[in-house]
Amino acid sequence: MNSRNKYGYLFIAPFFIVFSIFGIYPILLSLYMSFTDYKGIGSPFNANWVGLQQYARLLKDTYFLQAFINTWKIWGVNIILQLALALILAVIFSDVRLKLKGVSLYRAIFYLPNLMTVSSVALLFLFILDWQHGALNGLLLKAGFISKPVNWLGQPQTAQLSVSLIQTWLWFGHTFIIIFAGIEGISKDYFEAAMIDGASRTQTFFKVTLPLLKPIMIYVVITSLIGGLQLFEIPFLMSQNGLGGPEGSLVTMVLYLYNQAFKYRNFGYAAAVAYGLFFIILIFSIFVFKGMFKEEA
Amino acid sequence: MKIKKYLGILLSTVLVTTSLVGCGPKKTSENKEKLEVDKTKVLRVWSFTDELKEPLKYFEEKYGIKTELTIVPTENYASKLQPVLDSGVGAPDVFTAEIAWVKQWIDLPYWENLSGEPYNADKWADDYVPYVYNIGKDMNGNVKALSWQATPGGFIYKRWIARKVWGNDDPAFVAQKLSSMENFMKAAEELKQAGYKILPDEGAIRWFAKGSDPKPWVNEKNELQLTQAQIDFMDYQKKLRDNEYTALAPEWSPAWFASMQGQIPINAGWEKDVNKVKGNKTEVFGYVMPTWGLHYVIKPNAKETAGDWGLTSGPSPYFWGGTWIGIYSGSKNKGAAWEFVKMMTHDEEFLNWWYKKTGDLLSYKPVTEKVKDTAKDEFLKGQNHYQFFLKEAEKINPNIVTKYDQGIDTIWGNVVKEYIEGKKTKDAAINEFYKQVKNAYPEIKTPLDK
Repeated sequence: MNSRNKYGYLFIAPFFIVFSIFGIYPILLSLYMSFTDYKGIGSPFNANWVGLQQYARLLKDTYFLQAFINTWKIWGVNIILQLALALILAVIFSDVRLKLKGVSLYRAIFYLPNLMTVSSVALLFLFILDWQHGALNGLLLKAGFISKPVNWLGQPQTAQLSVSLIQTWLWFGHTFIIIFAGIEGISKDYFEAAMIDGASRTQTFFKVTLPLLKPIMIYVVITSLIGGLQLFEIPFLMSQNGLGGPEGSLVTMVLYLYNQAFKYRNFGYAAAVAYGLFFIILIFSIFVFKGMFKEEA
Repeated sequence: MKIKKYLGILLSTVLVTTSLVGCGPKKTSENKEKLEVDKTKVLRVWSFTDELKEPLKYFEEKYGIKTELTIVPTENYASKLQPVLDSGVGAPDVFTAEIAWVKQWIDLPYWENLSGEPYNADKWADDYVPYVYNIGKDMNGNVKALSWQATPGGFIYKRWIARKVWGNDDPAFVAQKLSSMENFMKAAEELKQAGYKILPDEGAIRWFAKGSDPKPWVNEKNELQLTQAQIDFMDYQKKLRDNEYTALAPEWSPAWFASMQGQIPINAGWEKDVNKVKGNKTEVFGYVMPTWGLHYVIKPNAKETAGDWGLTSGPSPYFWGGTWIGIYSGSKNKGAAWEFVKMMTHDEEFLNWWYKKTGDLLSYKPVTEKVKDTAKDEFLKGQNHYQFFLKEAEKINPNIVTKYDQGIDTIWGNVVKEYIEGKKTKDAAINEFYKQVKNAYPEIKTPLDK
């Protein structure tokens, strides 16, 4: 090995050192913790080794199952709305026939919610959705859509729907930009050819745009899945510091993990929940990836 | 302000870390340790309310020691303080704990053992209201924390309503009216007929539930104990709700505070029949509140009616809250820390001053004995609140406090609410309670394990 190679290692060393301390070490430590009954007191290495007991508990835990279902419900509604909205907007703004002006301005406006801190978004919606003095109920009452105020955050279904819609509002701009870039990346020749052959807008969309956008869509769904299954802040902030909302409907998997660790100090079990969550995300990511590419195989 | 605080924490962190460099975890034989008061060091205190602000000012003037108070809001207190105590970095010299945390922390190595040398707090045992002193002991009987206050509860009511409904506002008479839950319900009905509500919300009677059969949530065999009294009180709460004996103003809500001042609209809470009661106004008769509730909650929210309130006992004695104080075991400033803890809890001059300033119920007997005969509270029409509260404090059993109380109380409150609102049957609610306790504290044995 000559001296030049040595310098190479020296230059990349900082990343590996930092990553080992702040990345690998915590990952391994929590793995270790998941095999103990660590209660957050003293060092985890002094806690009792319980083997796979925490994982056995996880598999039988109906509260975790409920959190799993809640998370999927909230994410599922959100991703459908988010994709639909982003797709429609992207198609409209990229339409070669319409040639809309001011695309970049709209892009900025759509993206804006994503730049806000989540806590202010939660606070904002707590005001809007307040069942007695909230703007939304006020508006709906005046317009005559409802005869009495709806307690949006007080019932399981509406509470979950509210969180889904907030997530959609936060993220559709981001998805829009990615899909828009994807459409821009498709060669204009296809669209022109379709136009010359007399394809309608709907036909162009389903036969040209959508198939060619597939890789982008897979990317969007998988990244959203990874983020969505780790949903925490909005449910936490909108259910009075993690109490979980009406009938526990806002307890997501990460909120459940948080409560186990920091409310009840079951750190060992919380670590097992974290690893369970990791495998769930991994399995579903593979599932989505394989599922969406299947037709081409 | 915020920046200043963070800067302070940052600076003190830097200070502590640098001062720790090279000294390592040297185990001094704590029994022979002599306490030195270093006046050049800043005494750092952490708490969850601003209650210590005035005492610290008093301390600075009296001892010439600079202090720094860090106040962390209650909901974040434990999660901010515990990591600091675990690591020792940026840790306070003195910290307080509310009843909810006292038992969780007392068996951990956070607080200095005050029974040992050179503190010898054991010799003070007879100076305190017994229950307050006993809660500050760990499982080996060592004193880890002391408290300057006792917080027994009572029933604080509006005298003018009592006069109007019963023609008598005397505390002894009202106590008779509320002497058992059956009588309490009768009184509630009489008040309802006259257009009043006995309580702001039904959850208020949870304290009587605990008091009527005082048993800890978890016994020494680590078994969950749900007393028959708790189960009976589910029905009492439901009765209060179903018969519309309360104003449905949830504790700590703006409506709840407003009800102390005057009439409030009956708020159906999250119930569907909210429209039915919309616009109807009512007035709340009384509150199930302890000492601090009288001084810090009701008084500031009922200024116009001051002087026409009464204090009496409900169906059973109880206590609620309380703040304990102790020295951080890893503190490098134990001398000054001990001086402050001593001043707060065992300094007649200071405690006299504190009593005159706040009227709060102290736990230190040499002072309470002196003031109890002459004490009177103008807010309560000159009633002697001291004698009343001291008598209630004697009835308290400290052994019912466990480290699980806060968590289990919350779980129990939630399932009882679901029962009252008709979302669950009684058995389903109790079953859900067992399941949730097991989920939160796997080490506790519940009837579901059998």
